[in-house]
Amino acid sequence: MKVDEIMTKKLEILDADASIYDAIERMIDKRIRSLLVKPGDEKDVYGVITVRDIVYKVMAKNLDLNKTKVGEIVSKPLVCIDKGIDVEHAVNLMAKFNITRLFISQGKEILGIVSLLDVMSAELIKRAREGHSAK
Amino acid sequence: MLNKVFGGGTEQKVIDNIKRHMQILLSASECFKKGIEEWDKDQMYCVADLEREGDGIRREIISTIYEGAFLPFLRTNICRFVEIVDEAFDVLKDAAFEFKHLGPKLDEDIMEDCIKISDINRQMCDMLIIAFDTLFNKGDLREKTLAIRIYEKKVDDIKFDLISKLRGKDVKDFWEGRIISDFMSYLTHISDVIEDASDYLHIINLSMR
Repeated sequence: MKVDEIMTKKLEILDADASIYDAIERMIDKRIRSLLVKPGDEKDVYGVITVRDIVYKVMAKNLDLNKTKVGEIVSKPLVCIDKGIDVEHAVNLMAKFNITRLFISQGKEILGIVSLLDVMSAELIKRAREGHSAK
Repeated sequence: MLNKVFGGGTEQKVIDNIKRHMQILLSASECFKKGIEEWDKDQMYCVADLEREGDGIRREIISTIYEGAFLPFLRTNICRFVEIVDEAFDVLKDAAFEFKHLGPKLDEDIMEDCIKISDINRQMCDMLIIAFDTLFNKGDLREKTLAIRIYEKKVDDIKFDLISKLRGKDVKDFWEGRIISDFMSYLTHISDVIEDASDYLHIINLSMR
């Protein structure tokens, strides 16, 4: 199974100078756990901010959610894999880098995201279909 | 397990008809998906045709059961399961009906979500057949119903996003808005009904222990 078969295309992008509060609102509104952060300039690259980052790097340190900028806690660069890569290889990468999501790309374009939950769901469906031809 | 305990002719007839009923539901969902993908409103007539065929089989199943197939305590649950599958047919037919009355083609991102949902609905119908088969072999029904719940969750996620997109869309008049709204409601409700049907399979399985 290839990663693009199980990826989620729902990507939300935020500016690096947006506040953490903006990021939290977006995550809650869209029911997602991570946001893509736009590059600051032409030489910069995309980054990612997750719920984990917000809790550990902002809330746990009692920083002001309105004053702290997304750019201050963003993780860069993104860990991306090509859309044609096997899910098994993606899982190995997640384990190696101790991350729970991978971005799926085609060239420079980011197509979607695969999380551990997507991998688990796909594996459970595959097991349920074992012995039956997929339709 | 069902055919091991109730291997009689009438029971087998019911089982075969239930399988046929679900196969027709799968065909209808495939037809529906093709109609949406190709934006072919004529294609949707097949859904109503298959729903009528399904209706006939449902009546036959219920009659055979009340003529004496299966032990009385099992009859209600089996009938309820068949009724729920039939409800899935009805909702699919309603979605197809509304699709025929949609105005101009919907925005590409909305269409993409609708196609994705109709594909998940189709896969859920297929998984329901696999789950039903599990009642007759040593497969694990629990993992099949879990797969159905996973599919339903996926539809829920898309539905949430779809509603947000639709809220920002301008509509020409009341009826255009009403038809789009009804179409989306039916399209996203099919997965709930299939999930209910899979829950009933679990109940049937428990009642046979």
